[in-house]
Amino acid sequence: MEKECDRPYHCPYGGILFRKVSIIGLVIFSSFLLAAIFSSFLSPCDPWDRFEPYLPPGQDHILGTNDLGQDILSELIYGSRVSLIVGFGAALMATTIGSSIGLLAGYFKGMADEILMGITDIFLMIPQIPLIIVLAAFLRPSFWLIALLMGSLWWTSTARVVRSKALQIREMGYVQSKRSLGFSHLHIIVSDVLPNLSQLVMPKFLLSIASAMIAESSISFLGLGDPSMKSWGMMINFAFSRGGFINGYWWWYMAPGLCITIFVLSIVLIGSFLEERDESIMGQQ
Amino acid sequence: MNRHLPSSSYFRPLLCIDEMYVSFDTSLGRVKAAQNICLELHERETLAIVGETGCGKSVIASAILQLLPSNASVKGKAIFLGRDLLSLGEREMADIRGQEIAIIFQNPSLSLNPIMKVAEQVAEPLQIHRRLPRHRAISKAEDMLSRFKLGDKASPVMYPFQLSGGMNQRVMIATSMILSPKILIADEPSKGLDQSLARQVMKELAGIKDEIGASLLLITHDLLLAKEVSDRIAVMYCGEIVEAGSSAEIFDEPLHPYTKALLNCLPEMGFKPIPGSSPSMIDPPEGCRFYPRCRERLDRCLLSPKMIKVESDDGDREVRCWLY
Amino acid sequence: MLALLAGKDLGKIYESGLIFKKQSLLFRDISLEIEEGKTLGLMGPSGTGKTTLGLIMAGLERPTSGHVCHRGKDIEDLKGKELIAFRRQVQMVFQDPQGSLNPRKSIERSIHEVLNLLSIPRREWQERTKDALEKVGLSEELLCRYPGQISGGQCQRVALGRVLLLRPKVMILDEPTSALDISVQAQILNLLKDLQRDMGLGYLLISHQPEVIGFMAHEKMILKDGISYSK
Repeated sequence: MEKECDRPYHCPYGGILFRKVSIIGLVIFSSFLLAAIFSSFLSPCDPWDRFEPYLPPGQDHILGTNDLGQDILSELIYGSRVSLIVGFGAALMATTIGSSIGLLAGYFKGMADEILMGITDIFLMIPQIPLIIVLAAFLRPSFWLIALLMGSLWWTSTARVVRSKALQIREMGYVQSKRSLGFSHLHIIVSDVLPNLSQLVMPKFLLSIASAMIAESSISFLGLGDPSMKSWGMMINFAFSRGGFINGYWWWYMAPGLCITIFVLSIVLIGSFLEERDESIMGQQ
Repeated sequence: MNRHLPSSSYFRPLLCIDEMYVSFDTSLGRVKAAQNICLELHERETLAIVGETGCGKSVIASAILQLLPSNASVKGKAIFLGRDLLSLGEREMADIRGQEIAIIFQNPSLSLNPIMKVAEQVAEPLQIHRRLPRHRAISKAEDMLSRFKLGDKASPVMYPFQLSGGMNQRVMIATSMILSPKILIADEPSKGLDQSLARQVMKELAGIKDEIGASLLLITHDLLLAKEVSDRIAVMYCGEIVEAGSSAEIFDEPLHPYTKALLNCLPEMGFKPIPGSSPSMIDPPEGCRFYPRCRERLDRCLLSPKMIKVESDDGDREVRCWLY
Repeated sequence: MLALLAGKDLGKIYESGLIFKKQSLLFRDISLEIEEGKTLGLMGPSGTGKTTLGLIMAGLERPTSGHVCHRGKDIEDLKGKELIAFRRQVQMVFQDPQGSLNPRKSIERSIHEVLNLLSIPRREWQERTKDALEKVGLSEELLCRYPGQISGGQCQRVALGRVLLLRPKVMILDEPTSALDISVQAQILNLLKDLQRDMGLGYLLISHQPEVIGFMAHEKMILKDGISYSK
């Protein structure tokens, strides 16, 4: 039933792509995504195949090889899978849990709020990285476990932010007037509260992808990752533990380090752009 | 208030805005926010620019101080003490802002630093612009605060959140006045304040303004406030000044049909509405901007009327209408 | 005559804290009646709970004591059809005009939502939307704009038009014009008067401006220090 609107100001979402910086972010982000999906087509060789070790970047191996003679470029491309799955999985889980709890607490207030926020406070008190380390050390380390753990621990800040925004939105005229018009709570939550939370949740989601990826790298770097899987963090870990740093094989640890940095940066770019765009829609007049 | 003084043209003009045009380039088109603005602010007088939301009144103040966003373009002149403010560089402008021309912002609670004591905030301009030592600046600031009835022992050492909105507004005004500027610009000072409180603050402001001999440019949508504190009023509609004259005359004998209609909307006149709504500033009506809503329109009104001087008892009176 | 909407001995106490409860009294023993075609003006200094009283009367918040009756029946006991009737016949219009429409929905969507709620067949939507806009003096041009792109007065008109789709009998107007320019205020107040005359609406008008109350209200009430004074 939406009427087609031809004039530009009728479509506030138009013109998103015309911001240069965000385009760069988007391009980087999607190329990493493509690399992760099409690893087997894109990588020049199998990351487990062995060639001559410690080769600096050159013709045969663009980014060189590691101590076992594995091609670094292929490792990077395959490694993006694990890093991205952990990042996305953990962030998706954390954001979903966090926003649902925050939304329910904020919208319904009262008893629901007290209980849900009490739970949040308890989770907030758990020292997260140490817990992940301890659990990862006890259980068989696997990247699924790490993603699951991070997802189930990192929702607290999202819950808090979402709750305060939901509290604010529920008092807004448009929510109150829809209540007085007789709409159901479910309808109001889905059609009025959630869309107005997205400006908050989206950047939060993107940033938690970034921090989950960094955390995965640190955990892998500490040697608690899954040694049978290649991730960017594991690559740095191996480079460190097998003398890549000491002997100056810079291409070994530089490449995964840069990948993490650039990918996180692209996420931050997109995230901050989304925030800005949202402000401009809301402030348009 | 200096309405007892002889006609304002007695004083020489301090700020002279001449044919100023301000427009903004937006994705929706070019917004013609201010068109052909000619205004004179005389020494020691209070000039109010009144108009409804979105008529471009605040744009004038921002344009004078070069505080407009980058998508704005300004044409024309604003001569202040022999210098054209619109052509000055950022450095020279920074010297003028605050020292010569001070602006009082709308929301006092947001414009004050919450973690600085009130007296220190008022003293800050003295330390920066006048390079006064801290203790002297603070004692001067306390003097200034006491003029705004914030002089008791406690208030100067309090933080903004410990004071009420009205008190914060007075702190803001004290901060703007501490350097004895020649011109004060108050942009909607009554917004967000209780009506009675706004009146009170404005009266104090007007009093101090007379004491330090400054001129006040008051920008407001509140007609009654303008009537109470200003010597002259300029009425704006859709980016143009449609009528200017002394406050008493504007209220007693409005000339422009818009001014008449606006006064009829006041509670005292029985809330008689103006038909229609304010036109878009991107695509304003041809000829007189008020033509579509005017009760006294003529065929001639499809041509743009010029600002013409009208005879009056109280000095200059101008109106932009074909009826005169 | 039985009042359309009546509040009896309403009181509101705010509680905060889970274990150590802090109580603060907003108001108590407030009784008021809204009659068909009449306006009850509610005045008082800010922070005295005028809006809260409005929300209670609209059934959007629960009073700590007392009850609200719609056509003689306590709204807490309403069920099924009667509850729906109450929800439709008693409507509230809010202060911040821009805030009373979801900023992410076009005007058209905001109106269509309500038509959908009323289960009006889709083919009548266009007609109904046009009628609703006409009633409040707006043109169809506005439909595909967003609340941020139209003026405060237009937003308030849209909010009014949307509420009128439900054919209410009572409207609770919470400072409907305090955020608007005086010329728009005059327009909206006159529009409200016309609607009252045409549709026999009962208003509870909350305002801090004595002139507005004086212009609109048949009866006045002042809320001060938690109790009401009639005038």
